[in-house]
Amino acid sequence: MKTRTLRGWAWAHRWSSLVSTLFLLMLCITGLPLVFSHEIDEVLLHQDWKPAAEGRQLDLDQVLDAALSRHPGGVPAFMSFDEDRPVVNVTSVDPGGPAGQYTFQPIDRTSGDPAPLVAGHPVMEFLLQLHTDMFLGLPGMLFLGLMGLMLVTAVVSGVVLYAPFMRRLPFGTVRASKKARARWLDYHNLLGVVTVAWVLVVGVTGVVNTLAVPIIAYWKDTALKELTQAYDAPVALTERSSLDAAVRRAKEALPGMQLQFVAFPGSDYSTEHHYAVFFHGDTPLTAHLTTPALIDARTGELAAVAPTPWYVKTLSLSQPLHFGDYGGLPLKIVWALLDLVTIVVLGSGLYLWLARRRSARA
Amino acid sequence: MSRKDLGYRAIFGAPLVIAALSIVGLAGALLDDGLWDSLGSALLAASLGSIVWALATRRR
Repeated sequence: MKTRTLRGWAWAHRWSSLVSTLFLLMLCITGLPLVFSHEIDEVLLHQDWKPAAEGRQLDLDQVLDAALSRHPGGVPAFMSFDEDRPVVNVTSVDPGGPAGQYTFQPIDRTSGDPAPLVAGHPVMEFLLQLHTDMFLGLPGMLFLGLMGLMLVTAVVSGVVLYAPFMRRLPFGTVRASKKARARWLDYHNLLGVVTVAWVLVVGVTGVVNTLAVPIIAYWKDTALKELTQAYDAPVALTERSSLDAAVRRAKEALPGMQLQFVAFPGSDYSTEHHYAVFFHGDTPLTAHLTTPALIDARTGELAAVAPTPWYVKTLSLSQPLHFGDYGGLPLKIVWALLDLVTIVVLGSGLYLWLARRRSARA
Repeated sequence: MSRKDLGYRAIFGAPLVIAALSIVGLAGALLDDGLWDSLGSALLAASLGSIVWALATRRR
C-alpha cells in the first residue's frame, strides 16, 4: 500500500475514533446493564403478586376504562399484554403535556385494579434514555446514529491499518516486554480485530435503531397513508368502536399469530383512523417481526392486513441484534464481555493517540 | 536480521475465521432456539477464547 494511501486511512481511523470515542464509551457503559435489563428489573421490581380472581377476565374496553378512570383526560396511545400474568399495560398521553411524556399503567385484567410494574425501573429507564437519545429526543438519536457511522468508519479503517502493523507479527502477538505504547498497540490490535464482526453488527444495528422515528414516519406517510385517503377527519374519542371487538376481528384475520400490542388512532405506529393491532410470529425469527391488522376505529371493520415493508422489518431485526436479548443468559453474558472488550479497545485507542502526541512533542 | 513480511492470508486468516464464527453464532441464535441458543453463544465466544489463547501463548 502506498504511503499516501496509508496516511489517508490512518487519518480516517484517528479522527473517526477521536470524534466518537467519548460517546461510544458512554454507549458501551450504559449498554452493559441494559443487556441484563430484564434480569435487573426482575430483581429490583419483584413483588409477590397474584391476580384478584382466577378465570374471569375483563374485556379490553373495561380494562381501558379502568386505566383511564385513574388518569382523567389521558388519551390512550398503546396497549400491550404481559405473557406470564393476566396483566394489560395501558400507555396514555396527556394531550396538553410535553411531547413524549407517557403514563404507563399495568392493569390486573381480572379486576381492573393496578398491578405492580415488572419492567421499567427508573434507573434502567434513565440508562435506556441516555443510551437512546441522551434526553435530546430525535436530534439526540440522530447524533448517536452519526457516532455509530463514525464507529463503522473507525472499524473499517482499523482493519485496513491492521495489515501493515501485523506484517511481521504472527496473529495474537503481544509484545509484553516492550514499552507500554507497543504493548498497548498489540492489545488494541488483538482485541479490535477479534471483535470486528460483533462490533460491526452492534454498530450498524445501532445506527438503524437511531433511524426508528424517520423509518416509522416514512411508513405512515407512504404505505399506511393509502389506507386513510377515504377519510377527511381524524376519528374522535367518542366515535371509536369497541376495542375488544377490534382485537377479536384482527385475530380472525391473522390466525395462529401472537397478539403483541395495540396502537390507538393518532399514536405512533398507527393512523388517525385505525386501531393498529400488532401480531408477531411464534418462531425464533418471526417473533421479532410484526404484522399489523388495521381496524377501522369508526366501524370496527377490518381495513387491511398490512405486512411491514423491508425497511420496517430491518428495523425490527436490528433491535435484538443490537441488544443481544434473543439467545438467553449465555448470549447476554458473552455480549457483556464483548462490550467490556470494546471499552478496552476504545480506551487503548485514546491512550495510543495521547502517547503518540506526547512523544511527538518531546 | 530482517524477517520476511507475512502475506494477507497469514495476517487475516485467523481474524476471518473468528469473524465467520461470530456471524454464524449471531445468526444461528436468532434463527433457532434451544441448541442454537447455546451453540450461537459458544461460536460468538470464540472471539473471547482467541483473546485468552493469545494472552496465554503469544505474549513475549
